[in-house]
Amino acid sequence: MIDDLVVRQADVFRNKMGIEVLTDHRAEGIDRVGRVVTGKGPQGVFAIPYDHLLVATGATPIMPRQPGWDRPGVMVLKSLDDGRRIKAFLASRPVRSVVIVGMGYIGMEMAEALRAQDIAVAMVKPRPALLPWLASELVETVSATLEKAGVAIHTGFDVAQIVDDGDRLQVMAAAGASLTADMVLVAVGVRPNSDLAAAAGLALGPDRSIAIDAQTRTSDPAIRAAGDCADAFHAVTGQRTWIPLALRANRTGWAAADDVCGKPVTLPAVVGSAVFKVFELGVARTGLTAKEAADAGFEPATVTIHTASRAHAHPGASRIQVHLVGDKGSGRLLGAQMVGREGVAHRINTAAAALHAQMTVEQFSQMDMAYAPPYGPAWDPLLVAANQLIKTL
Amino acid sequence: MRFVIIGGDAAGMSAASRARRSDPELEITVLEQTQDVSYSA
Ligand SMILES: Cc1cc2nc3c(=O)[nH]c(=O)nc-3n(C[C@H](O)[C@H](O)[C@H](O)COP(=O)(O)OP(=O)(O)OC[C@H]3O[C@@H](n4cnc5c(N)ncnc54)[C@H](O)[C@@H]3O)c2cc1C
Repeated sequence: MIDDLVVRQADVFRNKMGIEVLTDHRAEGIDRVGRVVTGKGPQGVFAIPYDHLLVATGATPIMPRQPGWDRPGVMVLKSLDDGRRIKAFLASRPVRSVVIVGMGYIGMEMAEALRAQDIAVAMVKPRPALLPWLASELVETVSATLEKAGVAIHTGFDVAQIVDDGDRLQVMAAAGASLTADMVLVAVGVRPNSDLAAAAGLALGPDRSIAIDAQTRTSDPAIRAAGDCADAFHAVTGQRTWIPLALRANRTGWAAADDVCGKPVTLPAVVGSAVFKVFELGVARTGLTAKEAADAGFEPATVTIHTASRAHAHPGASRIQVHLVGDKGSGRLLGAQMVGREGVAHRINTAAAALHAQMTVEQFSQMDMAYAPPYGPAWDPLLVAANQLIKTL
Repeated sequence: MRFVIIGGDAAGMSAASRARRSDPELEITVLEQTQDVSYSA
């Protein structure tokens, strides 16, 4: 049930916590001199004064502007309403096939959900690589899993337009190929909802996210920003970055509240830890890819290994692949990626901790990690990879 | 003292709840353009 996803209803915030929650209220302007937010609500326009303002407007799915993207049956998935729309569409007619545009984690999670309902799924994207940030051997595992699950992968498919085809939709590539589907799901990424902040003259950061400091303050100290609309410092590069994920949204929300309430706050930097599930596989990353490392001025060395997910001869073992990135100059660990059926999601956090601590690969290789046969080999897969990477630094 | 929050999901509602716990007197207003607050993706 979609409504089970609501963590707490508006009424609970209103009645139990004394928080005024005005739903159906869209903020459209910030008057920084008068300290007033204006917008439109069910009773028409509103103007609400503030002493402290928090912009927590999140992110919006990117929607291409070519012809046909506004057809009914072309969907995005971000809000609960998007989810309700998709469910209603699937219930309203026989949907036999879906084209998913984009191959990020949301597209892959949707592919799995649709295949579970026996709906044919084709995924398309213009660029040649499936997950461009993921090491190629790990990508091969992901694409093999998708193909085995009956998902057709069309890389190099640049959608030019979507046209009606009776009750169905035809997705046409610039190069001439075309696919027919009952529904098209667009999952090509998100952008920060920063227009309101930009119009108010607040400074912006990477990808037009709102620039904030370690107290979540924007360039106007009476206005804070938190969550997907705001930027962050990256612990590995020391540079500003934009990585919209849920833990950070919760954490920056807390930090903004503490700062408003006069409590001391220093937001930590991020390392970009993320994990998702695609059919039976877990895919996880933290820190920099080799390319990001080179772009940030490091001299990256990489290693990719695979080991068993459990001790030798333990029944049920599968394969874990680990990709590590280190810096030749300093010996620092810069990033880690992992793919496997088990043992991936939480193991990535060990590498994340090492990145926060700015460990060298050598120091990382000396960490005392837990071992028991059902959970891994005596030399943890991360240690196997670190031991290999040391040799190339 | 009035704390106004634009956006009622993970970041906005985390801030609203945390501010309420720290300061029972603070006036807190959340503006959310949809009908849903605090869902978990
Ligand atoms: C399908 C899906 C799966 C995901 N899975 C994961 C996951 O596994 N792990 C993970 O870490 N992250 C995941 N995410 C990302 C995660 O949902 C976001 O990082 C998180 O929701 C960000 O919270 P937020 O409050 O900053 O922004 P949002 O959730 O975008 O909320 C912003 C809110 O502000 C409102 N708003 C915007 N503009 C205005 C305005 N002008 N006036 C009034 N209200 C406004 C919006 O309606 C919205 O309710 C997923 C996202 C999606 C879509």
